[in-house]
Amino acid sequence: MGSIQLKQVQKKFGETEVIPPLDLTIEDGEFVVFVGPSGCGKSTLLRLIAGLEETTSGTIEIDGGDATAVPPSKRGLAMVFQSYALYPHMSVRKNIAFPLRMAKMSQTEQNERIEAAASALNLTDYLDRRPGQLSGGQRQRVAIGRAIVREPSAFLFDEPLSNLDAALRVGMRMEISELHKKLATTMVYVTHDQVEAMTMADKIVVLQAGVIEQVGSPLELYHTPRNLFVAGFIGSPKMNLIAGSEAEKLGAHTIGVRPEHIDVSKTEGQWKGTVGVAEHLGSDTFIHIHGIEGCDPLTVRAAGDVDVKYGDTVYLTPNAALIHKFGPDGLRMS
Amino acid sequence: MSNRKLPRLLQTPAVLLLLIWMLVPLGLTLYFSFIRYVLNSLRKPEWTTPSISNWRGFGNYEYVLNSKDFILAIQNSLFIVCSILFLTVILGILIAVLINKAFAGRGIVRVLLISPFFVMPAVNAVLWINMILDPVLGLQGLGVQGLNGLIASLQSAPGVGWFFSLWPQFEPISFRASQTSAYAVIIMVTWQWTPFAVLIFMTSLQSEDEQCKEAAILDGAGAWSQFRFLTLPHLGRPIAIVVMIQAIFHLSLYAEIEIVSRGNGNKNLPYLIGEFANNNIGAASATGIFAVILANIVAIFLLRMVGKTLME
Ligand SMILES: Nc1ncnc2c1ncn2[C@@H]1O[C@H](COP(=O)(O)OP(=O)(O)OP(=O)(O)O)[C@@H](O)[C@H]1O
Ligand SMILES: [Mg+2]
Repeated sequence: MGSIQLKQVQKKFGETEVIPPLDLTIEDGEFVVFVGPSGCGKSTLLRLIAGLEETTSGTIEIDGGDATAVPPSKRGLAMVFQSYALYPHMSVRKNIAFPLRMAKMSQTEQNERIEAAASALNLTDYLDRRPGQLSGGQRQRVAIGRAIVREPSAFLFDEPLSNLDAALRVGMRMEISELHKKLATTMVYVTHDQVEAMTMADKIVVLQAGVIEQVGSPLELYHTPRNLFVAGFIGSPKMNLIAGSEAEKLGAHTIGVRPEHIDVSKTEGQWKGTVGVAEHLGSDTFIHIHGIEGCDPLTVRAAGDVDVKYGDTVYLTPNAALIHKFGPDGLRMS
Repeated sequence: MSNRKLPRLLQTPAVLLLLIWMLVPLGLTLYFSFIRYVLNSLRKPEWTTPSISNWRGFGNYEYVLNSKDFILAIQNSLFIVCSILFLTVILGILIAVLINKAFAGRGIVRVLLISPFFVMPAVNAVLWINMILDPVLGLQGLGVQGLNGLIASLQSAPGVGWFFSLWPQFEPISFRASQTSAYAVIIMVTWQWTPFAVLIFMTSLQSEDEQCKEAAILDGAGAWSQFRFLTLPHLGRPIAIVVMIQAIFHLSLYAEIEIVSRGNGNKNLPYLIGEFANNNIGAASATGIFAVILANIVAIFLLRMVGKTLME
């Protein structure tokens, strides 16, 4: 059990409206990711669900019951914070045991659950250490352990990986995804890293300034972004957005072409440009091209190692079937 | 010269000065405590100048140990210091937690709370003993008088008069008496030093991690559990600091004891030293050495205790 429903939820801090009235449904067992630029209200939304902030208006339903006025501890949700929020004076074991101790669970059952969580998260060797004596990744695992022993109806993650280095982040990303498969519990995950969003989510919620721009599966967002903001935000490298005469030829105000949907040729093509920076990654080459009207620089992602260098003249051909068209209001034209 | 030697060399004067500063008084005290040395003696004028030929061995220590006030002074020192520590730490934590919440006029309340700390100890003692604790003219006397008056008038009231006739006449407490003067000292010093504890605990509370508290709230911890398992351990170090500093200061209380009762039934070690030092410097020095030992024991013992109970 762990479905969450927000109905016309609004949040104001004093006079500033951080989240205008918003509707959102999170199904039981879903992995939902909130993405958006910094300051768009992702954390605020998560804290509203957790009960750490009070809604200004609107209702939050958990498992079908109105939970708007239910205190955070009674909502049956567990949260993992960006800064881990471990209790610094307690050992790892006591940290993980804390929610159980607060629930007055028997010592034997506490121990069982702690052992289970510790072995699932590879923490068995560290149970007697203090949080200060652990690495960042281990701390984050302790924080997750503290969340799973409670067997909550949903997990809330607020940028749990952003304090970790890149390699560890990829590893922890997999671990959390695996955990979700194993527990099949609802997870709500906040990040501003769209790669995390694309790889982990069943459903992505794209936010901008507290407004939901689009909700959908990662591939839906990739293939049919609803507006310019989503088009530019989802996908890496970013979609090329071209305004002006090129767009008008196709009857649109702006057209969007993903870097991977453009062919590069040294001899012929639809558009002509000059190579700026070329990033050779081995598997791919990202080429930044200048001189194309309406979009400077334009990014192309070519598979494999392409032999171009600074100042070369190249010809580009977008894949016509995969061009996204947007109207003057920024919305997608069907 | 290697680049380590130069800094060492430059530090040397300061270190030497500090060493002299500490070691010379301690050395002299030790020296005086082993010789006969008095300020005034008609019978033995040679004792009035400190000299190794007046060597007395542990005689001064024996004399101090056998003097009738010594055990009382040690007990009293410990009683006063421990009571003050206990009260200031408890009150300090309560007040600090209370004013850590945001409320209107918090800035003013904080300044007012700190102000007792700026009163001089002697002034503090005079104010308390004469204006507040005095059994006739102080607030206490007036309060007890008022209460007695009120009861007397209620005794003749219809209906409830019989009930108040059962009440006794209240007696104001004389805080200059030998049995109670220690309490007066404890009250006034606690009043003066609680702000110090509040100040230290308040700054420490502000560095408490808010997210930890939120995590605890989600984990189902109520206000008491948050205080017990998060705030109190967080305050462990500041409590140790408050205890340590206050122990050092209060083992050497003097002005309050002098003003309240002139040491009548309420001597502590410094007061005893003061009395000996009227003439017998040797005995005063021996008492001083006892005081040093006591201070060390107290400090180590208290720190252990605070560390164990709070840091788990
Ligand atoms: N307690 C508060 N009082 C006033 N304004 C706040 C408060 N908390 C957040 N805000 C404002 O609400 C907006 C959204 O904040 P929020 O923390 O939800 O952003 P975010 O999407 O989580 O950003 P980030 O990715 O940087 O964490 C910000 O503009 C912030 O300044
Ligand atoms: Mg945030």
